[in-house]
Amino acid sequence: MSLHLDSAKPEGAPRATMSVAMVLAFVVVAIVVICAFFGASIAPDSPFTQRLDIGDVPPSAQFLAGTDLLGRDVLSRVIHGAWTALVGPVVVAAGAFSIATVLGLLSGYLGGMVDSVIMRWVDFMLALPTPLVAIVVVGVVGGGYWTAVFVLVILFTAPDTRIVRSAVLEQRPRPYIDAARALGISKTRILVIHILPNVLPIILAYVVLDFAFALVNLAGLSFLGLGVEPGTPDWGRLLFENRTILFTNPVALLLPAGSVILTAVSMNLIGDWLFARLTR
Amino acid sequence: MIRSGVARLILMRLAIAIPLLLIISFGIFSLVHLAPGDPVRALLGTRPSDPETLANLRERYHLNDPFIVQYGKWLGQVLQGDLGRSINGNRLVLSSIKERAGVTVYLCLVSTVIVLTAGILLGMLAAFKRGGRLDRFVVMFGVFGISSPAFVTGIFLLYVFGVVLGWFPTFGAGRGFLDRFWHLTLPSLALALSIMAIVVKITRASMIEVMDRDYVAFARARGMSAMRITLAYILRNALIPVVTAGGLIVIGFLANAIYVEVTFALPGLGSLIVDAVQKRDIPLIQGTTLVFALFVVIINLVVDVIYTLIDPRIRFGAVQS
Amino acid sequence: MMAAPLLTVRNLAISAGGRAITTGTNLDIARGETIAIVGESGSGKSLTAKAIGRLLPPGVSARGSIVYNGIELMTLPKREMRQMRGRRLSLMLQDPFTMLNPLMKSGLHVAEMLRDRSEFRDRAALKAEVARRLGEVGITDADVAERMPFQLSGGMSQRVAMAAALARDPELLIADEPSTALDVTTQAEIIKLLKRVQQARGMSLVLITHNLRLAFSTCDRIYVLYAGSLLEVGSARAVEEDPFHPYTLGLLLSEPPADKRVPKLIAIRGKVPRADEVAGRCVFADRCDWAEDECRAATPALAETSAGRFTACIRRRQIAAEMRALRGAALEAESALASLEPSISPIVRAANVVKNFAGRRGRVVQALKGVSIEVRPGESVGLVGESGSGKTTLGRTLVGLETPTSGGIEIAGIDASNFAVMNAADRAETRRTIQMVFQDPYSTLNPRHSVRTSLREAIRTSGRFSDQQVDARIAELLREVGLPESYAERRPASLSGGERQRVAIARSLSVNPKVLVCDEPVSALDVSVQAQILNLFKRLQQELGLSYLFITHDLAVVRQVAERIYVLYLGEIVEQGPAEEVIGRPQHPYTKRLIDSIPR
Repeated sequence: MSLHLDSAKPEGAPRATMSVAMVLAFVVVAIVVICAFFGASIAPDSPFTQRLDIGDVPPSAQFLAGTDLLGRDVLSRVIHGAWTALVGPVVVAAGAFSIATVLGLLSGYLGGMVDSVIMRWVDFMLALPTPLVAIVVVGVVGGGYWTAVFVLVILFTAPDTRIVRSAVLEQRPRPYIDAARALGISKTRILVIHILPNVLPIILAYVVLDFAFALVNLAGLSFLGLGVEPGTPDWGRLLFENRTILFTNPVALLLPAGSVILTAVSMNLIGDWLFARLTR
Repeated sequence: MIRSGVARLILMRLAIAIPLLLIISFGIFSLVHLAPGDPVRALLGTRPSDPETLANLRERYHLNDPFIVQYGKWLGQVLQGDLGRSINGNRLVLSSIKERAGVTVYLCLVSTVIVLTAGILLGMLAAFKRGGRLDRFVVMFGVFGISSPAFVTGIFLLYVFGVVLGWFPTFGAGRGFLDRFWHLTLPSLALALSIMAIVVKITRASMIEVMDRDYVAFARARGMSAMRITLAYILRNALIPVVTAGGLIVIGFLANAIYVEVTFALPGLGSLIVDAVQKRDIPLIQGTTLVFALFVVIINLVVDVIYTLIDPRIRFGAVQS
Repeated sequence: MMAAPLLTVRNLAISAGGRAITTGTNLDIARGETIAIVGESGSGKSLTAKAIGRLLPPGVSARGSIVYNGIELMTLPKREMRQMRGRRLSLMLQDPFTMLNPLMKSGLHVAEMLRDRSEFRDRAALKAEVARRLGEVGITDADVAERMPFQLSGGMSQRVAMAAALARDPELLIADEPSTALDVTTQAEIIKLLKRVQQARGMSLVLITHNLRLAFSTCDRIYVLYAGSLLEVGSARAVEEDPFHPYTLGLLLSEPPADKRVPKLIAIRGKVPRADEVAGRCVFADRCDWAEDECRAATPALAETSAGRFTACIRRRQIAAEMRALRGAALEAESALASLEPSISPIVRAANVVKNFAGRRGRVVQALKGVSIEVRPGESVGLVGESGSGKTTLGRTLVGLETPTSGGIEIAGIDASNFAVMNAADRAETRRTIQMVFQDPYSTLNPRHSVRTSLREAIRTSGRFSDQQVDARIAELLREVGLPESYAERRPASLSGGERQRVAIARSLSVNPKVLVCDEPVSALDVSVQAQILNLFKRLQQELGLSYLFITHDLAVVRQVAERIYVLYLGEIVEQGPAEEVIGRPQHPYTKRLIDSIPR
C-alpha cells in the first residue's frame, strides 16, 4: 500500500508549453490544409497543362520548381497534390479508428469469446506487413486511389483495435468501473459513458499518428504506380513519374519528397505532443 | 526443467505459425479470384485469347474444379517446390526467386547490422544525456526517420550522394563482392535510416524508463560502480522492449526493402514483386508473396524464441511464494 | 547518548523546480542510535533520506551541510561519495517488490557487493558468505539465493534487500518505510529483524515512517516532519508522554487505539498541504485549533526547550495545559456498546461461500473455502485479514462483482447467490440494499466525470427524476458527507484523497442502501485524514441506521468501527466474536499473531 500525496492538485490543464518545433509542425499542417482546399487559387498554373515543346527544365522565374517530362509546372502539381495527401489519410485514420473503437471496446470489456475471436482476427491481420499486403491486394484488384484507401482502412483497423483494447483493459479493473457495475449500470452505458471518455484521449493521439502512417503508405502505393490514376497530381505519383528526370530537374523529385516528409513529421510531432499532454 | 519450458514454448509458437501460414497461403491463392473479371483472363497475360488457349489454361490451372480442390492442388504443388510459371516469359517462378533473393538478403543483412549497432548506441547516448542537445537532436532524428519512408529517404540520398557528389552509383546491384557493396551502400543506408529511427526511439524510451526505476536507485545507494549499473541493471532490462519490438522492426524491413529496391532499380525480391503486381503476373505474385510471408513468419518465430530466452519471467513462469 | 554524533545535518533544504520541498532541517545521529523521521505524505521525509545519501532524482536539489564522521558530504567529489555509499552509509527504499533487479538472482544482489574483497575471490567462499549474510536476515533456505526476485514474497524480498544493503557493513542504515508495503504480520517481523541486526552490529538506524506508534516502540529519538518543516524533536518516551506540538498531539490522537473503542476519534481537520503552500507562517496553522495571529505572522523557528527537546510551537507554554487535558481525556475515553438482540434476523447472510479462481497452469486457487458471516440491521461488523485472506473477494461477492463457486448469499431476504440468474426486480432491489466503498481514493471516481456527473449516474439507477430533484439530491448527499455544495462542479483531479473518498461514499449512499461493504476505505489515506473518514462512517451509521461490513487489515481501525469481528485467514474464518473479546482475549494463534504485530 503506497501513500499518495494527500493534497489537492490545482484545477485546470497542464501548462501548454510548445517548442519551436511544435509551432512549425502546426504551421506546416496549416499550409497543407490550405493548399488542399484552395490549391486552385494558390497554384501559379494548372497542374495539367502539358508543354511538350519545352519538356523538363530546371527551376526558373516562370516555373519556380521547373517542369516535368511533359512540360507541366511542378510547383502547381505539388500544391494540388496536397489534396490527395490530406483526404485519403484522414479517411484511413478516422475510418480505421472508428471501427477499431467499437471492436476494442467490446473486446476489452466483454472478454471471453468475443475477445478471443476479435484478437485472433487481429493477430492474423498483423501477421503480414501492411505495405506488402497493400501492394499485392491493390495491385491485383487493379489499383486506384480509393481502392487503396479502402484496403488501408481494413489493414489499419487491426493494430488500432489492439491499441483501443489495451486502453480499455487498463480502465476495466479500476474501482470506478466496479462501482458502476455494483450500481447496476448497463454494460452499454458503462462502455459509452464511463469507459470511452477515458480512452478517447489516447485514441485521438493515435489517430494523428495513424494519419502520418497512412500518408506514407498511400504515397508509397502511388510511387509504385498502384495508387492514383496516371496524371493525377499526387506526391507519390510525382515521385513515380519524375524518377527519370533526376539529373535534369531534381527539384521535381525533391519537392514532393520533401512535402511527404514534412507533413508526416509534423503529424508525428503533433501526435507525440497530444499523447504526452493527454496521458500525463 | 528450463529446457523443456523453452521447448514447449517453441512448440506452442510453431503450432500457431503453421495454421497461420496455411491461412495466408489460402489468402494468397484466392488472389487469382480477386482480380476483376474472369480468372482465366488474369492468367492469360499476353497470349492470344482463342478458345483453345483458354481451355488449355482452364485445364492447367484446374479452374473447372471447385474452389477448395483448386486450393488443395495448388498447395500440393507448392509443398513440392513447384511455384508455377510466370505468365510473362513462362519462366519458373522458383528460378526467378532464387535469382533475386541474394540481393534482398544482402540488403537486409547490411541494414540490420547498421540498425542494431548505430540505433541502439544512439538510443543509449540520448538516454544518458537526457534533456541535452544530443538528446533533442536524436529525438528529432527519430521523428524524421519514422516519418520518412525509405523511398523518400532513398531519393534524397540518391540526389546528394549519387548525383551531386557522385560518390555512389544510382542504380543496379553491381558485379563482384566489392562492386556490389559499393552499389548497395546507398540503398542499405536508406533502408537502415527509416528503421533505425524506430530502434533509437524504443531504446531511448526504454532506457529512460529503466533509469528511473527503484532497483537502479537502490544499486546506486549501495555504491555500485557506474559501469556495473549501466550494464547489469540498465541495459539488460532496457533491451527487452527492444527485442519485443523486434517483430515490428522486421516487418518494417521487409516492407521498406520493397521501396528501396524500386528506387534504386535493384534486382531483388521486392522489385520482383512490384514488377509482378504491375504486370498482373498472378503466379509470380503468388510465389513471391508466399516466400515473403514465410520469411516474416519464421523471423517472428525466432524473435519470439529469443525473447523467451532472455526474459526469465517467461521461462520460469509465475511462482507462488 | 553522550557519544559524538555520527551524522550531523544542518539546514538541509530541498527544492524542486524552484519550489521548496523542505525548509532547513537539522538532524543528529549518534553511533548505535535509532532515530525516526515521522511524517505523512508530502512531508519530505523520503527526499530527506535520499538527500543524505546524495541520491536525489534529477530535477531535485539540496542545500545545507551533511557531515558524516567529520566529512562534509555535500562537497565530496562523486567518486568518493560513491565509496561512502554501501560502506559507511546505506539506504533501503520503500517498495520491496521493485528494489531488486528483476533479471538478477537474489543471491547475486549480495554477492556483487562482496566480490571485490580478496577473501571472496574464490567462488565457494563467496557462496558461503552470501549464505551467511542471508542467514543473518533470517533466510535459511539455500534455495532462495538462486531465485529470481519475482519468485519471492514481499517479506523475502525485503530481507534480501536488507542483506544487500548491509553487505559492506555500513555504520549507518537509512530505512525508508521498510514495512509499509507488507502485510501486518510480516511488517512486525521485519521491524524486529531490523532492530536485532542493528543491535548486533552496533549500527545507527534512521527509520522513515508515517506510523507514530511504530516510531515510539522502536526508536530512541523522534523527528516530526510536516509539510517540509521539523515541528518537534525529542526522545521517543518524552514525546509520547507529553507531545509539545499540536500536530504531534493531533497525530497521536488520530491514530485509532487498538485496546479500546473511543466515541469519536479526534481528527485533524483539513488536508495535508505542500511545503510551498504554507510558506512564511507556521506550516500547521491552517489546521491548528490553537492558532493565533502570531502563528501566521512568520515561520516559527525550532526552539530548544530543554536538552535535546525541540518544538516549533511558539504558543507551547500557553496551550500546554489544554493539550495535556486533551491527551488525558483521549487516554481515558471509552464508549460502551449497545449490543444487539441476537434474535433480530440478519440483513446479510453468507453461508458456506466458496470461491475458486483459475490460477496459472490450470491450478485452482481457493480464495474462499466455505465462509459464513452475518450482518444484522444497524450493526457494524469487521472482517479482518491480510492480503490473500480472501476478504476482498468476500466483499465483492456480496455486491455481485464476483459470483461464488458454491454457497448461499441472502441479502434482506432475497437470494443473491448469483446475480446473473436473479430476476431483474430482485437484482435491482438488492443493489439498492447493499453498496460498496472501495480502497483506492485515486481511482474510485471516474477521472473524466465531474462530481455531479458521478453522483447523477448513481442516482439515475434508482429511477427517473427531474433535473431539480437530481440537483437537490446531489446537494443533500454532499452535505451528508461533509462537503460543500460547490464541490459538485469539481473534477476528481482537484480533490484530495480524503475528499474523493467522501464523494465515493456519497455515491454509494445515493441509492439509500441499508448495508455498506467498505473495503479498506481508509488505508490509502494519511493518518490525519483517516480519523476524519472514520468519524464520518460512525456518524452516518447513527444518522442513517446503516449496517457495515468493514473490511480491513488494521485491528486498531476495526476496533473503532465494529462491534463484532470476523478474522479471516487463507479463506477461512478462524475466529469471531465481539470486538473486545477477539482483540482483548484472542483464542486462535493467527489472531494472536495479528495482535502481537501491532506496535507496542
